Amino acid sequence: MLSRLVLRAAPAALRNLSPSLSAGTVHAARSFHGSQPCTAPYPPIPEKAGAVRFGVIPEEFFQFLYPKTGVTGPYMLGTGLILYLLSKEIYVINHETITAVATLSLLIYGVKRYGSRVAAFAEKLNEEKLATVATVKNDSIKALETAIEEEKREQWRVEGRSYIFDAKRNNIAMLLEINYRERLLMVYNEVKKRLDYQIAMQHLKRRKEQDHMISWVESKVVQSITPQQHKESIAKCILDLKALSKAAQATV
Amino acid sequence: MAGRRAALKAIDWMAFAERVPLDQRIMFNALKTTSDAISSRLTSLPEKPPAIDWAYYKKTIALSGLVDEFEKKFSALKIPVPVDSETAKIDAQEKAVEKDAIAYVEASKARVVEYEKELTRFRNMIPFELMSYDDLNEAFPETKLDKEKYPYWPHKPIADL
Repeated sequence: MLSRLVLRAAPAALRNLSPSLSAGTVHAARSFHGSQPCTAPYPPIPEKAGAVRFGVIPEEFFQFLYPKTGVTGPYMLGTGLILYLLSKEIYVINHETITAVATLSLLIYGVKRYGSRVAAFAEKLNEEKLATVATVKNDSIKALETAIEEEKREQWRVEGRSYIFDAKRNNIAMLLEINYRERLLMVYNEVKKRLDYQIAMQHLKRRKEQDHMISWVESKVVQSITPQQHKESIAKCILDLKALSKAAQATV
Repeated sequence: MAGRRAALKAIDWMAFAERVPLDQRIMFNALKTTSDAISSRLTSLPEKPPAIDWAYYKKTIALSGLVDEFEKKFSALKIPVPVDSETAKIDAQEKAVEKDAIAYVEASKARVVEYEKELTRFRNMIPFELMSYDDLNEAFPETKLDKEKYPYWPHKPIADL
């Protein structure tokens, strides 16, 4: 309970603090991150850093001094400063200086000699990451495009749905027609068969009658031939044959 | 005689075949063979049977009255046209399919709209070289690291690295 009192009393106490003490404390009345954050897209990070000379001094400094002191101005300033620091022993040369010289020269040599290769290696790592993400993106784009193509194709296919029903209806109509024609043909064949049967029967009867009559007549004739007539007819035949043979011999 | 059947609709089998998807090809082939068999049977049958030569039969058959009787009965005979009971069913089928087809096309169009939206989103993305991790998480929400569930780096289970 006492802590709650303290907490409630704190803002009021803070406001009553003298200006000298309040400089380091947080004023509760002020609020950070109160307004909407800026959602505008940031400009892209530049490829190259700002130009520098000697690795640490920006180019803008030289440009700043150029109007007043010309090209050599900043160099003069630098040389003068260094000589001043050394001569007045504001910078004391001791063992640390040797260490610094050795370390710095090694570092600078290393960076200058192998810097680009390390940069290329890091760039390659980054490139691989980018490439994987880019493949994902491209594959997604391709997949979406093929999906759209497929959908359009399927819609086109659906348009042809009437074909199958037309084919079925055609089949049905053709089957009915076939059935009808077969029935006509069957009737015709049956009637024709019966009529032809009648004709065939007639012919058969006729022929049977003829055969029977002929055989009957023959048998009767053979019966009627008496032995007397038989001998006479044979004698006559022989005479005829003799005459014929004479005639044949004569012609030959 | 000619008006008793509906005229057959000419079917373009080539165009039909184009629209058949691969997995239904077998059924299409079966339908085509059946249709071809039926149409060949139809063409093999004559439209009308040949006329019976009554005069010749009258002359030849001795049994009088038989031929006359046959002729009379034959001309009086009416062969019934087969009744069409299946076309109505086919029409009903067609109507049902129509409804499904329209629904499918609507769904397909909706899908196409979604795909188009995704496609424009992908096409209008800023190039990866200019993205920050925040931009990446916006574009591909699955890359967002769950800092509540895994508060310590690398913010995902070690197995997923």
